[in-house]
Amino acid sequence: MNSHHLLPVHTGTVIEDDKLTLGQLCHACGVHADWVISLVEESIIEPQEGDEMHLWRFSGASLVRVRSALRLQRDLGVNLAGIALALDLIEELEQLRTRLKIMGHD
Amino acid sequence: MQYKDYYQIMGLSRSANQAEIKRAYRKLARKYHPDVSKEPDAEAKFKELGEAYEVLKDPQKRAAYDKLGSNWKAGEDFSPPPKWDEGFEFRGGGFTGGDANAFSAFFAQLFGRDGFRPADQVPHGFRVRGQDSHAKIYIDLEDSIQGATRNISLSTPEMDAQGRVQIKHRNLNIKIPKGVKPGQHIRLAGQGDPGLGDGKSGDLLLEIAFNNHPLYRVSGTDIYLDLPVTPWEARLGAKIKIPTPVGTVDLKIPPHSEQGTKLRLKGHGLPAKTPGDFYVVLQIALPPAHSEEAKAAYQKMQHEFDFNPRVSLGV
Repeated sequence: MNSHHLLPVHTGTVIEDDKLTLGQLCHACGVHADWVISLVEESIIEPQEGDEMHLWRFSGASLVRVRSALRLQRDLGVNLAGIALALDLIEELEQLRTRLKIMGHD
Repeated sequence: MQYKDYYQIMGLSRSANQAEIKRAYRKLARKYHPDVSKEPDAEAKFKELGEAYEVLKDPQKRAAYDKLGSNWKAGEDFSPPPKWDEGFEFRGGGFTGGDANAFSAFFAQLFGRDGFRPADQVPHGFRVRGQDSHAKIYIDLEDSIQGATRNISLSTPEMDAQGRVQIKHRNLNIKIPKGVKPGQHIRLAGQGDPGLGDGKSGDLLLEIAFNNHPLYRVSGTDIYLDLPVTPWEARLGAKIKIPTPVGTVDLKIPPHSEQGTKLRLKGHGLPAKTPGDFYVVLQIALPPAHSEEAKAAYQKMQHEFDFNPRVSLGV
């Protein structure tokens, strides 16, 4: 019998879009709120609603962008403007690759 | 433990100067950065590179590493000679960048680990909630459509009582919620890094990605299927059976369809509040012309059709 069957099954929750608060996003990525705020100011991530900081809500996709931004800064020494540019280009590249795949040219 | 040739990893000679080391790092870091690179083993290569740079950019660590001598071969079984680090000051400090969690056993043996406090040194009453940890998991399209339970294995760096970091492997059975999309995250409360002191454990955040499927492609909540059809099915229309992730369904191909015509089955994509759509992309397949009868049929078409597909090419 497969030993996997003996393990308990963990049920998680899907992080829906527009659900993360600033505090949750910071904790999830292990970064300081000041740094995330500077990412918002540079328009690297955008809160989905709320003009005031305590009303900000972020999408699950922001998680990926914040963590990529962190790695680009830490590993390559890219500044915020460079991170914004790199992330936009990476995203565009991925969209193009998906389209190529859909057209069957992968 | 295997010896690592940091010069070889960075493509440098042992006499490289600091400027050359920095340039080599910048160049290779851009090539292998996991956020940017398309190379299949980019992540492993990038970690190796970070470790090599951590040693070679620091004159103290580099001098100590050089002292091991140049006779070691990469991958050779290695244990440091006694007192090899005598007179060098880097133990327990001097980490300047990179993700030290990812460094190899070889590195840890030589230079120790920094930034990790042994569990028994946590002051009494001190509590900090553990970090959330992250992992990417690959699931099948069918898992999202039907919901499923999947066993995943995770490698997590964990600190032992001496403050050394060890990679722990663990298996988790997790529920894949119905309708989860690529790029979405599942939060497993309390499955992240342990807290310090009495602090609660962090959460485990799983980023969802889909395995490549032999038949279907996913874009957002939409699913695409390339469907081979005969020329007469496309031109005259037909009712045919097609596979979908939830089973075979009947599809009506309208007459006068073209190569690449997209047909939509509304709401048959990934489940969601507004479910995605299922797209069928027609791919016209030509029947072979091996037999005399088949050849005659093609010749008949040649006579019947006044058809030049190259009109737009001007020939």
